[in-house]
Amino acid sequence: MRLRIKPVVLIEALMSCAVLMGSARAELPGDAGRSPEVATLAVPASKHWVWVNDFVFPHMADGMAYLIDGDSGRYLATLSTGYSFAHVLLSRDGKRIYSPETYFSRGTRGVRTDVVTLYDAGTLKAAGEIAIPPKRASNMPMIANAVLTDDDRFLLIYNFNPAQSVTVVDTQTRKFVREIETPGCALVYPTGPRSFFSVCGDGSLSLVALDDAGAAQQTRTQPLFNMAGDPITEKPVRLGAIWYFVSFAGRIYPLEAGPRQAAVKPSWWLTSDAERKAGWRPGGLQQLAVDSRRSRLYAIMHRGGVETHKDPGKDVWVFDLSSHERVQQFALKNLSTSIQLSSDAQPLLFSIFIDGTDLDIYDAATGKLLRFVQHVGTTPTIMVTP
Amino acid sequence: MKWLDALSENSARALARRTSRRSVLAGLGSFLLGATAVPLLPVARGAEPKPTGGASGAAAPGAAAPAADPGDPSSCDYWRHCAIDGFLCGCCGGSQATCPPGTDMSPVTWIGTCHNPSDGKDYVISYNDCCGKSACGRCFCNRNEGDTALFQPGQSNDYNWCSGNAKANIPYHCSTARIVGAAK
Repeated sequence: MRLRIKPVVLIEALMSCAVLMGSARAELPGDAGRSPEVATLAVPASKHWVWVNDFVFPHMADGMAYLIDGDSGRYLATLSTGYSFAHVLLSRDGKRIYSPETYFSRGTRGVRTDVVTLYDAGTLKAAGEIAIPPKRASNMPMIANAVLTDDDRFLLIYNFNPAQSVTVVDTQTRKFVREIETPGCALVYPTGPRSFFSVCGDGSLSLVALDDAGAAQQTRTQPLFNMAGDPITEKPVRLGAIWYFVSFAGRIYPLEAGPRQAAVKPSWWLTSDAERKAGWRPGGLQQLAVDSRRSRLYAIMHRGGVETHKDPGKDVWVFDLSSHERVQQFALKNLSTSIQLSSDAQPLLFSIFIDGTDLDIYDAATGKLLRFVQHVGTTPTIMVTP
Repeated sequence: MKWLDALSENSARALARRTSRRSVLAGLGSFLLGATAVPLLPVARGAEPKPTGGASGAAAPGAAAPAADPGDPSSCDYWRHCAIDGFLCGCCGGSQATCPPGTDMSPVTWIGTCHNPSDGKDYVISYNDCCGKSACGRCFCNRNEGDTALFQPGQSNDYNWCSGNAKANIPYHCSTARIVGAAK
């Protein structure tokens, strides 16, 4: 037997139910006293969080950084970071975020002020500010625009106005210490708790050793890199004492550098002869990432001509840094200009395109896409993980 | 993102004709070159019969160029633009020789050597940038040829050279293409 109910009767019945249920239900309590008015973040951060830095190219006065949880894909927080922003730096104890920033007293004009803003990692409130010379370089953001020494004591910032120098900030006293002239040499690459180098236009290095007061001793090496023909990029990654530089064509130059000496180890290629002939090469802005636990190098790869060294790629190739063998390769969901790995034992691979703004999150071990987060910023550049 | 999208579309068509693949990143890098002093192979570029920059995206303002200075200054194909990278000031309220109202001309420039098809001579072109306002965002003209890393500022298109004095400090708006003189 089929039960037949007239539609009008059914609607009346449902409405009665709704009214009864509504009256039976307790009212929602007020949020006051139950939910905090402002969220805070766990300290230290999860190893699966990532800071996506954005120089907001169409509106460069409004630099930003976004914090995303790679496990849930949840957008956690934002920092506003001023004009021509490069990237934040995370203290190793997880408590502090350092952000070299530039401001003008009237937005895009007026008095220029450069500062390092110290953000509390839990509240993201500006907890302090260190004035630095208004010379911070304005360029396509690179991880080597600003670095911390290996013990976090000194923050080093590359200057270009267009004279080249490095600003030294003492994170302990929270004071600007000095400016180190590095004529002809660019960017900052740490090599220990009290040392770093800059790379000079002729392929030599300016090795800098600091003392506990931040005073510097400089050593200029012979040219170690050939800058003609197939030059190196300024986008190397570091594993221990070795900086892995890559050339435009995809040749790896391992540089072992310390406070006073440096040497390039035997080079090797990301590609076979056949792959090079087919046009395979690395590309992108943050085109390399390193898994220090497994000694693996990840590279964004694409096919293109000699001047496509900044082009995005849709493939990631993975190399064992001991054997130089390619051990894995996988296709990405979207074009990518930046990749970054989390630093834990089950690493995530984050991928983003400067013109795409979808953050894609992969299992680094398998290359499987786990999730993606839409609308992350405007022109995302460098990613930083704890 | 509007200009960026336009950039992608306009550039993609022009670029696809001559390269396998270009990215907006390359364009972005080249924007900064717009604010950059990059003597990018000026002789070689001057020798090129036709400049091969990106797309213009805007109509020519004003009257047609005189016969001695042929072409559309708001077009990337304009002969003076053989080594330019950035937003063309002719599309932003200025011209190929003049900064838009309210900006400051950067004292630091990069140069190219461009071939004038009208008189058959090569000219040294100074790509002074106009600074002090946010990016104009119109008539982007880009190329990545000869670009190297930031280690060689004179050959890197990733620097913003809208710096160096109190007036033209950092905010990049657009680029001019001023004749310095005939190349000897």
